[in-house]
Amino acid sequence: MPDMKRLVLDVLKPHEPDIREFADATSRCDGVAGVNAALVETDREVQTIKLTIEGDAIDDDAVEAAVADLGGSVHSIDEVVIGDDLIEQSDTPQDPHR
Amino acid sequence: MSRLRGLRAALADEDVRSISRRYFISNGFDGTLTSIGVVVGAYLSGITDGLTVFAIGLGGAVGLGTSGVWSVWEIERAEKQAETLRTEAAMLRELDDTIVARRDRHGRVVNAVMSGIGPLIGVVLPLLPFLVVPEVVSLEAATAAAVAIGVSVLFTFGAYLGSISKQRWYVAGVRMGLAGLVVAAINFVLPT
Repeated sequence: MPDMKRLVLDVLKPHEPDIREFADATSRCDGVAGVNAALVETDREVQTIKLTIEGDAIDDDAVEAAVADLGGSVHSIDEVVIGDDLIEQSDTPQDPHR
Repeated sequence: MSRLRGLRAALADEDVRSISRRYFISNGFDGTLTSIGVVVGAYLSGITDGLTVFAIGLGGAVGLGTSGVWSVWEIERAEKQAETLRTEAAMLRELDDTIVARRDRHGRVVNAVMSGIGPLIGVVLPLLPFLVVPEVVSLEAATAAAVAIGVSVLFTFGAYLGSISKQRWYVAGVRMGLAGLVVAAINFVLPT
């Protein structure tokens, strides 16, 4: 498979470890150049965070393993960019917020 | 994460420190009052050998220290397990073999060790004067010194608690130290 340039994950996690540790652990995975971790929702026992990971050749298995080791669950893979160029999604007339 | 690094991280974790502090002070308080009770009781019972008093007290220290470690290990295991089960139910996954479980284990080790150290300090420090009876001090003086050391240990516990909670440390210290004098006084008035 060609190199993965961007990976966006929706992650469910316990309150501890906190969001910084998820950003730190995933940023240490092979092929990762940077990570943005954003809190989406906080419930009584758990939190939902969005991890936006970019790099030249992201090792997505290592990223998922790092998330799992911290006690998180990948709920969904929300965006993947693969190939030589970093391609943004294009607008279509069906998009609600054009 | 290596075990040593994990334990060091647990020592720096404020939640672990807070629980450890409670066990350390609570069991240290028990141990110190027990020690004061033992030395005053031994004196009033007519024991004349300092090493015998020390040995009796040391037996108590072993018992209280073991109790401190063992009970806290089991208490924290149950409490953390209950907490983890709630989180697992919300996460819809098990958390065994994750950083969460490893941190709980390291935190439990620190809690248990601190819980055991408290009574060891509380019991053994007041007993030290009995190691130099009769060469350096008399039995009466050793007993008085033991009570004074015990009260000082209690004062230190209280002052420490006062300092971390922004109370007047000397008032908190006196409140705790008073308990040592009360135990000594009760022992004196009790028929032996």
